[in-house]
Amino acid sequence: MILLRLISWPYARKHLLRWLLTMAGIVLGVGVFVGMHTANQSVLAAFNETINRIAGTTQIQITAGEAGFDEDVLEKVQNVPEVRAAAPVMEATLSLTALSADSRGKSNLLVLGVDMLGDRSIRNYDLENADGSAVDMTIDDPLVFLAQADSLLITKTFADKHGLAQNSRLKLRSMQGDLVFTVRGVMKPGGLASAFGGDLAIMDIYAAQKFFGRGRKFDRVDVALQDGVTLEQGIAKLRAALGAGYEIQPPSSRGEQFEQTSRTYSLASNITSIFALFIGMFIIYNTFAIAVTQRRTEIGILRALGALRGQIRTLFIAESLIAGCVGSALGVGFGLLLAKAMSGYIGKILTDTYGVSQSVGGLDVDPRLIVGSFLMGVATSLVAAVLPAHAAAAVDPVKALQKGSRQMLGEGENARRRWAAVACAVASSVALLFSRNNIIFYVGFLLAGLTAVLLAPSLSLWLSHLLRPVLSWMRPVEGRLAADSLIQSPRRTSGTVAALMLSLSLVMALGGLARASYTSLSEWMRVALNPDLFVTTAESVTSRTFVFPASLGDELRAVPGVAEVQAVRSVRVNVKGAPVMLVALDVKSVERRAHLPPVQGESNFMYQRTASGAGVMASENFVRLHGGKLGDVLEIAAPQGTLYLPIVGVVRDFSDQQGSLLISRETFVRAWKDDAVNVFRLYLAPGANEAEVRQRILNDFGSRQRLFVLTNKEVRDYVNRLTDQWFGLTYVQIAVAVLVAILGIVNALTVSITDRRRELGVLQAVGGLRQQVRHTIWMEAAAIGIIGLVLGLGLGAVELYYAIEISRRDLIGIDIAYSYPFGIALLLAPVILAAAFLAAVGPAESAVRGSLVEALEYE
Amino acid sequence: MGNSTLYSLRSCSLRSYKQVIHLRGVSKQFDGKRKVVALERLDLDIARGEMVAIVGPSGSGKSTLLNLLGGLDHASAGEIEIDGALLSKLTDDELTRVRRDKIGFIFQFFNLLPTLSATENVSLPLHLRGWPRKKIEARAQELLDLVQLSARTTHLPDELSGGERQRVAIARALSVYPPILLADEPTGNLDSATGTEILKLIRDLHQRLNATVLIVTHDHAVAESCPRTIRIRDGRIESDLRRAETVAL
Repeated sequence: MILLRLISWPYARKHLLRWLLTMAGIVLGVGVFVGMHTANQSVLAAFNETINRIAGTTQIQITAGEAGFDEDVLEKVQNVPEVRAAAPVMEATLSLTALSADSRGKSNLLVLGVDMLGDRSIRNYDLENADGSAVDMTIDDPLVFLAQADSLLITKTFADKHGLAQNSRLKLRSMQGDLVFTVRGVMKPGGLASAFGGDLAIMDIYAAQKFFGRGRKFDRVDVALQDGVTLEQGIAKLRAALGAGYEIQPPSSRGEQFEQTSRTYSLASNITSIFALFIGMFIIYNTFAIAVTQRRTEIGILRALGALRGQIRTLFIAESLIAGCVGSALGVGFGLLLAKAMSGYIGKILTDTYGVSQSVGGLDVDPRLIVGSFLMGVATSLVAAVLPAHAAAAVDPVKALQKGSRQMLGEGENARRRWAAVACAVASSVALLFSRNNIIFYVGFLLAGLTAVLLAPSLSLWLSHLLRPVLSWMRPVEGRLAADSLIQSPRRTSGTVAALMLSLSLVMALGGLARASYTSLSEWMRVALNPDLFVTTAESVTSRTFVFPASLGDELRAVPGVAEVQAVRSVRVNVKGAPVMLVALDVKSVERRAHLPPVQGESNFMYQRTASGAGVMASENFVRLHGGKLGDVLEIAAPQGTLYLPIVGVVRDFSDQQGSLLISRETFVRAWKDDAVNVFRLYLAPGANEAEVRQRILNDFGSRQRLFVLTNKEVRDYVNRLTDQWFGLTYVQIAVAVLVAILGIVNALTVSITDRRRELGVLQAVGGLRQQVRHTIWMEAAAIGIIGLVLGLGLGAVELYYAIEISRRDLIGIDIAYSYPFGIALLLAPVILAAAFLAAVGPAESAVRGSLVEALEYE
Repeated sequence: MGNSTLYSLRSCSLRSYKQVIHLRGVSKQFDGKRKVVALERLDLDIARGEMVAIVGPSGSGKSTLLNLLGGLDHASAGEIEIDGALLSKLTDDELTRVRRDKIGFIFQFFNLLPTLSATENVSLPLHLRGWPRKKIEARAQELLDLVQLSARTTHLPDELSGGERQRVAIARALSVYPPILLADEPTGNLDSATGTEILKLIRDLHQRLNATVLIVTHDHAVAESCPRTIRIRDGRIESDLRRAETVAL
């Protein structure tokens, strides 16, 4: 403790900027980790909260995927003696444009269609009078509600937000065109009214069926059991009464399903945030390694005065503990701010990608995550300081007290690292041979990264030697001194270079993956998404809130200029325990028009069997993520009985991250007793004008029902935008990683100008202008940038292979062709040089502003 | 008009060409927790071609004086004129150009750059002036011949003895044959034999090149070898002694 006060504290005060930069590494690492997880958690919590608030006293929910089921199911449920109450529900999210002058832009409204008479035994509707006093809701109210199909209950929050009150009128766009609703009641905040952030409206279930065009179907039935009946008993009885094809589970399972659906996103964000922390670790390591080198004399004196090796080691570990604690605490705070800023954005991505809406209000802060992240930050700091602390303990007091000698990276130390790198490289290569096993594969991945980290000091030294003549040629004095500075102090450079290398390899791997994904996606869109027009119920292609009646297809077919119409129905169903997308389509038409080639299987057989309802086409990612091969029989639960369909072909399909199953429309209609359509895909007759046909459809049908006509380009743009959003978040993380690396460069240069103080003083004393001194610092920064860039681009080539492989195995499950992103590499060169220059500005100015006399006397 | 002539025009006076160093009322004060007066109202003239020793006890202000003359530090008050250039009127870069063109420094601890060879160290100021490579190489060779180090051109400072390092430092100081040489304890880090050798070299160069040489020293022998000795105590000139004869070392 006394050593901390006498030795460490004065050093930290003297090098305050460096310590702040070091802590910035931890702050960013922990911050990104906490931020990403808290934002994800908040989105999930918002979704769960909405489920819980809507659930009321519901113990069991009965669903049949997204397609819903016939009304007669309700009667079957009500007839089960163990059921106390059963209430049908329709639930959908509407995207609203501005409702009033006060409310600008778009907002989402969760609409709940309920049977008001029965529903009050499940949910509590707490209404208030116009003057704010509570209303005792008598039976007359629901009758009024039922008697008028235009009735709407809204929450106080929603009413205040949009300037609505009792008896206000509200125009909403339904499948029957614009409908005007009347606000018949305003629910007090709290309880049910707090679901979906208060953006909730209740309408009569039969009005909702019409509104959403769902025919005589319910989305689900909410069940409360008789007293004394356990959940398991209730589920068993209901399963017996309804048969297969229904999901009968407690409300909490919906949250788990959402979690499972968005697991790809969670996994991707986990990988990158851990990476950020890993890079932060290098910054800490670098700082401590430099500190040990700089404080050799001090350590030598302490050792000469009798300090034990253990005491020196403890001193450095204690310093890292303090830095880790302060940095992690600040990181947690920064992470929460980041989460607040990001949760809305993440919510939007998840809504757009998975078609599941949620309204993120406040943050859901998990104390375990906060404590865990704090400990992780501290542990990272400690791990990073172990080697430097060991090196400090090993300092020879005699050598340390010799003035003027610089400490080189020991040749023995370097050789040991090189041998360890060779061993890791060999082990990583061997792991590739056995990479079918996921654990071996990931171990190989880690070993490949470790190889690069171990080789970084030797390679950066070697590259510094290579750069020396080039830099000398550019600027004989400044360039040579810059290169020599790197060569003389490999400890100072190698940690920064390693951090930069890792950051850039991340950029290359993720950027390369993004580019390769775009290429594959474009190819898929070219083949599979080739209709000229898409008639949808929403601006978003992923939205499945509304559905069209099948009869619209015949009417569209009759529109002049339309040659062919394909009806597509997409619903999420549970297959092999995972929520996958079931796509029902006109298989023969698809075969004729798009002819998506199979990745596995024989084309004619595949289309023939699927069209006849004797098979299913599975997407490549379904097979990869959930297991299965050609010929495997899949069990697909449907309201009219379970379908047993063999996989007759595997196709590349990007429709859904969890995988998709393509079946014939006839099979779906039969098994779900549902002929509704999500999207009509239109092929135009030769010579037909796309804009004219589109306008004709809008004129003929737009006024009488909710309908959007999107061109092929608009759909492709939408898909690309969605992909951009995904990678957009990744790019934010990359930016953080690069920022951490830039902090490393600032750190290294700050130390460099301290180390080179006398050298820079001599340079000025013998006639070097300030600009020339600046040049040498800039060139040193540029050299660090170039070395980091070269190593990063090299490691990036390897990381890209692993990124594609991880994506194939555990993320999207699709084979993406390896293609090195030379464009990104070319783009990175000026970016990193500019970043290095920026990082050098402060240190360079500090170098030219110091006292020359002190610099020349500096020892 | 080149930058190198800019400062001369701006600050040139009509002072006698003979006076290469001219100080009037120069003071230097260090502001810290306690103010320390290092030099107090110093007046001094040094003629072109003089060889002057500056002596005094530690902390008397002799190194501070050398730093002010070399433009490494700024005076708190008074005027310093170096070969016609009024230092207080110059910008930082102009001051550097004065250093580059008119002053050569020789330091006690040599201050050679450890990663550069003897030739490269000598070439350093010439590169900074942007001379063509061939001219630099020729001049560096000429200077290393002058300090009798022709055989050690490619050696790094670590591979040279103390005396050899100081010879390289002297060659570097002479790189543009400046009119003024400032030496801060040039023999202070050397054994007496080597110190004598270095002093001989400085005297020899002074005579051959007619440079003005100022040597800050503790060493009486060094002081006695100079025709003029200025003794400083407590920031003031205590004595200014000119000798008819000097002690040959």
